[in-house]
Amino acid sequence: MDLVKRFARDKAALLGATLLGLLIIAAIFAPWLAPYPNDVFDFHIERRLLAPAPEALMGTDRMGSDIFSRLLFGARITLMLAGIAVGSALLIGVPIGLIAGYYQSWFSDALMRVAEIFLAVPQIVLAIAIAQTLGPSIQNVILALSLTYWPFWARLVYAETRSMRNEVFVESAVALGASPWRVIVLHILPNIASPIIVRTSIGMGATILTAATLGFLGLGAPPPTPEWGRMIAESREYLPEAWWYALAPGIAIFLTVLGFNLFGDGLRDILDPRTRRSV
Amino acid sequence: MNWLSMVANRLIWFVPTLLGLLAIVFTLSRVVPIDPAFLAAGENASVEQVQKVRERFGFDKPLPVQFLNYVRDVAQGNFGVSMFTQQPIVNDLATRLPATLELTLVAVLIAALIGIPLGVLCGLHRNSWLDHVLRVVTVSGLAVASFWFAMQLQFLFSMKLGWLPLSGRMEGFPPEPVTGLMVVDALIAGDGEALASALRHMILPAVTLALPAAATVVRFTRNGVIGVINSPSVAYQTAMGFPRRVIIWKYVLRMALTATVTQLGLIFGILLAGAVVVETVFDWPGLGAYAVRSILQSDYNAVMGFTLCTGALFVFINLLVDMLQAAIDPRGAA
Repeated sequence: MDLVKRFARDKAALLGATLLGLLIIAAIFAPWLAPYPNDVFDFHIERRLLAPAPEALMGTDRMGSDIFSRLLFGARITLMLAGIAVGSALLIGVPIGLIAGYYQSWFSDALMRVAEIFLAVPQIVLAIAIAQTLGPSIQNVILALSLTYWPFWARLVYAETRSMRNEVFVESAVALGASPWRVIVLHILPNIASPIIVRTSIGMGATILTAATLGFLGLGAPPPTPEWGRMIAESREYLPEAWWYALAPGIAIFLTVLGFNLFGDGLRDILDPRTRRSV
Repeated sequence: MNWLSMVANRLIWFVPTLLGLLAIVFTLSRVVPIDPAFLAAGENASVEQVQKVRERFGFDKPLPVQFLNYVRDVAQGNFGVSMFTQQPIVNDLATRLPATLELTLVAVLIAALIGIPLGVLCGLHRNSWLDHVLRVVTVSGLAVASFWFAMQLQFLFSMKLGWLPLSGRMEGFPPEPVTGLMVVDALIAGDGEALASALRHMILPAVTLALPAAATVVRFTRNGVIGVINSPSVAYQTAMGFPRRVIIWKYVLRMALTATVTQLGLIFGILLAGAVVVETVFDWPGLGAYAVRSILQSDYNAVMGFTLCTGALFVFINLLVDMLQAAIDPRGAA
C-alpha cells in the first residue's frame, strides 16, 4: 500500500501510468471506440487525403480510410508485438542469466560471450537483417526483436545473480542442503525481480521504437495492417500537402514510448532504491 | 598490473567476438529462402548463367567451407564484391565512411555542447524549474521515433519554410576530396559556397541524430554532478571553508565529467543506430544508408562487411572506454 502511495505521489510516473492505461483501453476497445472500425481494410478513394474535420478527427489517408480508426487498431498491434517480443526475450534471457550467474564456470563465460556478441552491433541493424532475411510479417518482426533483445536481460540477470551468490541467505540455503534449482527459483529470483521489472518497462519502450522503425523501412506487417511505423512511411510521398497523415501515428508512438519510460522510471524509484535516479 | 590484465583479457576476446559476430551474420545470410546466386545473376539469367555465378561466388560449396573461405578472405582484408555496385565491399565502405563520420562527429559535438552545460546546470540547481523542464525534454527526446522527427523537420524547415535543403549532402560540385569530410575539404579548398552548402545540408540530419544523444548526456551529467555534490569529499571541502565556486569548478565538474566520459560507449551506440535511420530518411550517402539498402536488396557480402565493420568499431570503442574507466577509477576493474 505504501508503495502505491509513493508511486502516486510521483507525478511523472502517474502520467506514464495514465498513458499506458489509455493505450490499453484503445487496444481493447478499438472496435467500439473507432468511428469507422471497418476502415482497417476498407478504402474509399473519393474521401482520400482529407484534412482533419469533425467526421474524420485526424484526417484520412491515401486510401480514404479514417486515420483515427486505424490508429486505435494500431495500438493492438503495437502492444501485442512488443508484449510477445519482450516476453520471449525475458524467457530466453532470464534463465541464461540465472544459470550463468549461479554456476561460475567456463560455460557461463561462454554464455555471456555469446550475449556480448549480440550486443556488439546496434540492435536495429541486427533486427533489420533478421527481419529482412525471414521476410516481412508480424511474426518475423517479433522473432527478430526477441533474438536481438534477450542479451539485455541475460546480462542484467547475470550481474544481479552473481552479486546474490555471495549473500549470506543464499549461502545458508545452500548449507541447509537446498538444491541449486530451489536456491535459484525461490531465493535468488524473487530478490532480483525488481530490476528485471524496471528494465522490462523501459525495454518495452525501446522495443516499440525498433518495431516502428522496422515498419517504417517496410520490414513489418504487409499493408493494409494499421502498423504505426508503416503508416508514417506511407505518408512520406504525400508531404507537404497531407501534413496530418504522419502527425497522429508519430505522436501515438511518442506517447506510448513516453508512457513506458516514465512508468519504468517511477517503478525504479519505488522498487530499486540502489539505482534510484537522484531527486 | 590489474589494469594490464583487464586490457589483456579484453584483447584476447576481441577476435573471438568478431568471429562470433561473423558466424551469426553468415548463418543469417545463408538460411534465406532466396537463392543469392539467382539474385546476383539477374532476373533474365539462364540456368547456366546462374550456375556460373554460383561457382564464381562459391555458393555451391558446403556451408562450413563457405564460412572458412569467407573468414580467410576477411582476414586478408577482402570482404568480397557487392552484387549491386559491383565494387569491392572495402571500397564501398571506405567511400561512405567519411560521410557517416562527419555526421556523427557533428552530432557528438552538438550533443556535448548542449548536453554537458545543461546537465551541469540541472545538477547544480536540482528541482529548480529548469531541472523540471529539462527532465520533460530529455525524457521526451528519448521517446521520439527519429524517422518521424526527421520527417517533421523536413516538413517544417525545407518544405514549408524553404530554409534548408530536403536531403543529400551537397549541391553543385563538391570540393576536391582530401579528407572526405565535406566541411573540412571545403575549408581546405577555400570554397565558401561549398562550405555553406555542406553546412546547410548537415543541420537537419545532425540535429535529428544529436537529439537522443544530447538527452542521454544531460541525464548522465546531471546525475554525475549530483552524485559528486553528495559525496563525503565535497562535504569535507565545504566544511574546510573552500568557496563554493572553487569546489564546483575544481572538484565537482572534473569528477562529474569523468562519469560522463565513461558513457561514451553507450552514446556512440545510440549514434550508430541512429545513423542507420537518419541517413535513410535524409539520403545521406553514408554507411547507415548503405547498410539499409544492402539489407533490402539482399546484398549479403555488403551486409556482412557493414556488420563486421560496425561491430569491430563498437567493440573497439567499448574497449577504449573500459580502459579509460579503469584508469580513472581502478575500483571497477575486474
